[in-house]
Amino acid sequence: MDILTLVYICLFFFGIFFIVIFLVLHKRYLPLLYENPKIINHPSVSFLVPAYNEQDSLQNTIEALIEIEYPKNKKEIIIINDGSKDNTLKLAKQLEKKYKVIKILDKPNSGKANSLNEAVKIAKGELIAVVDADSYPKKDALINMVGHFEDPNVAAVTSRVLVKNKNNWLGKFQVLDYSIIAWTRKLLDFVDSVYVTNGPLSIYKKDVVKKIGSFDPKNLTEDIEITWHILSEGYTTRMSYNAIVYTTVPEDLKTWIKQRVRWNLGGIQTVNKYWRSMFKKGAFGYFVIPYVSASFILAIIGFLLMIRYLWIKGSYQLIALYYSFQGYDYFKYIEFSISFTLLLFLGLIFFSLAIYYYKTGFKHSETGNKSVLKILAYSFFYRALYVIPLIIALYKLAKGDIRWYTK
Amino acid sequence: MVYEIMKTKSRIFLESLVITILILIIGFYIGMSIETYRTNKIVTYYKDYEIQALDLKLQNYYFQIMDESSCKQAIEQNFIFADDIYTQGLVLEKYEEANQISDDLFREKKRYVLLKTELWLNSLLLKQKCSNPFDTIVYFYSGDPKNSAQVAQQKILSNVLKTVKEDKGNTVVLLPIAGDLKLKAVDLQMKVYNIKTLPSVLINEKTILEGFHTEDEIKSYLKK
Repeated sequence: MDILTLVYICLFFFGIFFIVIFLVLHKRYLPLLYENPKIINHPSVSFLVPAYNEQDSLQNTIEALIEIEYPKNKKEIIIINDGSKDNTLKLAKQLEKKYKVIKILDKPNSGKANSLNEAVKIAKGELIAVVDADSYPKKDALINMVGHFEDPNVAAVTSRVLVKNKNNWLGKFQVLDYSIIAWTRKLLDFVDSVYVTNGPLSIYKKDVVKKIGSFDPKNLTEDIEITWHILSEGYTTRMSYNAIVYTTVPEDLKTWIKQRVRWNLGGIQTVNKYWRSMFKKGAFGYFVIPYVSASFILAIIGFLLMIRYLWIKGSYQLIALYYSFQGYDYFKYIEFSISFTLLLFLGLIFFSLAIYYYKTGFKHSETGNKSVLKILAYSFFYRALYVIPLIIALYKLAKGDIRWYTK
Repeated sequence: MVYEIMKTKSRIFLESLVITILILIIGFYIGMSIETYRTNKIVTYYKDYEIQALDLKLQNYYFQIMDESSCKQAIEQNFIFADDIYTQGLVLEKYEEANQISDDLFREKKRYVLLKTELWLNSLLLKQKCSNPFDTIVYFYSGDPKNSAQVAQQKILSNVLKTVKEDKGNTVVLLPIAGDLKLKAVDLQMKVYNIKTLPSVLINEKTILEGFHTEDEIKSYLKK
């Protein structure tokens, strides 16, 4: 058995292992999917809305927060204007006049993490709810989340993010993508492994955030970093599957790639910061860190194998084309043949499990049942695009070009 | 209570690990069974060819004692075996490409190359005895190509030669022989005919064509 075959087998082993974990979790915990603990106390909540050039979406976000179901005297909204160059500040002031629960924190531009840290200092709520200025929580989102804090060990609760704008193919694929992300995150919740508290809507215990030193401004994904920080301190993070928030997703490939490059870079930064906790500290050390690290490694290995495959196949086609100018009948010899191999068989098992997993995920999301054809398109086309931002992120990392993405 | 929950959660990972190992064992079992079946099939083919080659060799001894009138029958037998070994060779090559776990086939492959070399020598004898009645094309290729460019070049050349053989039918004996398996008989032949690079095509033991050549070019060196 050569090294390449071993690499493939390792790849399939870990791929199948992770999918099986999710399928077992699904089988065991499906009845608890929409269960949330009842709210006994109503802790006060400060909504922190960092805004940088958000004049188009800020009003709708704030109005969604005004309408959110929660005792009025327990809510405050802090809009943090992060040195916007458009009319965000003017709009925020108008909203402040209209709604008494709103406060404005105006500061020079220094990034989202710094904005949140400034706001945490003046927030009065026991809980702080971070809401992106282009996201719109449903009315019952908060009451579906706050109950989790009855458990004294829970320090953060996140929501299910759905796509607001699904106007083109990219938007439609992201609807599927966000469904799978949310589904996976909820399954991870059952093993205390929610490792991202998303930007569109997540709630944190303010005293815990202060205790751990707030959000890390050096990290490109402050939401991932703070979640890992919370987990590393021994607290628990939760996800409420019926706490829904709609968010605006990138509508063109360039913006999508830029967003995903940031996610990848932030993810790698976070793994790099916390990898020493591997195989320590419960689910965080024994599952979250190995799982996320393995996901990156598997993605890179998968990409390299794909390049190798394309190189072998592509070089044949190129050489054949070259010889076609010298009289070789290129089209006569085009052939598509697949020989059965053990690796192909293992790959098929892995792929079938992945399709089944996606199908299950869609069934329990807002998208509803999806045909295998659509799942194949999602897997082969959209998921294949994942590799582009990953490679750009690795390139930037190799060049030490991380600051470019930091505000 | 917390301990109980933790125990349940750890059990999920353990359960998943057991299921994964089971899936892989079943996958390996089925995959290996199919590969073993295929390997056995190839080994059987090789053994059959060995018997066929021995049969042909004995026939040749007989034909050598006989006069030139036996040429037709001898050539006919030679072609039947040559065509059979070539056609099956194409199938076997695909099987070998797909066989990723077992190295068992390598020894068998060497025997197969030696059989083809023997067939070539047999064809040479027939050509001498029966006044040059057919063309021989010996295609020396690498059994262990060093890079994807060489793989591509060999595949292209193999396609071209396949077409030549299809067009020319029973006037050409086509013998693809791996030239880098460290077989002394093959090495000797390559030295005798001055074959220095792989892939190369040797036509009628005279013309050496290195690298890519079109069907028409190759055909232009044939007599028939």
